[in-house]
Amino acid sequence: MAEPTRLQRDYTCQEVVGLASEYLEGAMTTEQMTAFEMHLNFCDGCFTFLDQVRTTVGMAHALPEEEIPDEIKAELRQAFNDWKGE
Amino acid sequence: MAAVGDEDATLVARLREGEERAFEEAVAGLYPAMLAVARGYVRTRSVAEEVVQEAWLGVLKGLERFEGRSTLRTWVLRIVANIARDRAVREARSQPFSSFEPEGDEPAVEPERFFRADEPYPGGWRSFPTDWQTLPESRLLARETLDLVTSAIDGLPEGQRTVITLRDVMGFGADEVCEALGISEVNQRVLLHRARMRVRTRLERHLDG
Repeated sequence: MAEPTRLQRDYTCQEVVGLASEYLEGAMTTEQMTAFEMHLNFCDGCFTFLDQVRTTVGMAHALPEEEIPDEIKAELRQAFNDWKGE
Repeated sequence: MAAVGDEDATLVARLREGEERAFEEAVAGLYPAMLAVARGYVRTRSVAEEVVQEAWLGVLKGLERFEGRSTLRTWVLRIVANIARDRAVREARSQPFSSFEPEGDEPAVEPERFFRADEPYPGGWRSFPTDWQTLPESRLLARETLDLVTSAIDGLPEGQRTVITLRDVMGFGADEVCEALGISEVNQRVLLHRARMRVRTRLERHLDG
């Protein structure tokens, strides 16, 4: 493995995982982002980790929506009709 | 902040006219998010359901005064949050805690996964995480895996669960979540991060195991 460059040493892998959402949320300064992406370019572990986080988000988004129980729907419809009648 | 769309204006107009169909659409579209918000404040699901019922009455009463300064869904969620907060205060035997105030430190990944400061690559991975892209898609989207994600989210601390549900499950924007819950951008992001990290860890144990 090549000698780490100075930028590579800016973030350790442990720091990168702690900053993953900050990166994904676009909440970094340009300098932070440059150092973060530089680390990703060199580090397969962190690249894979970030991909796992993205997959996790994607899976959360793929969850089927919870059904609203009929009983609750009926109660709400009743409340709406009461409101209408007021 | 997202501009209030024509869709909101149309739905609100139909609701004001008392159109039952419009109400059913509103319930279908908003109920899951309302429940997610309520569950961030109160202890049990059944109390959260009561909070949401009460919130709908507030929504109907306030409809005349809805001015479209925020999106309909943000406005509705704020009503839920206010009612849930009051309810939590009333129910708390001691000082009510705020589940949206991230407490202490929570490592994103177990510290043992990284080299210690006195080792050759301090803070570097001892062994790399596995590449989920090499798994067959059927494994990732298997019922079992999705059920695991559901149960992992369900088992999160309240604040984390509410934020990840609104953001990642339902696709709300960060600004909408901050506005609905009345929390800072930083707190929102910390809660989201912690939630994602916990769910990722659960998935990793499942997929690597």
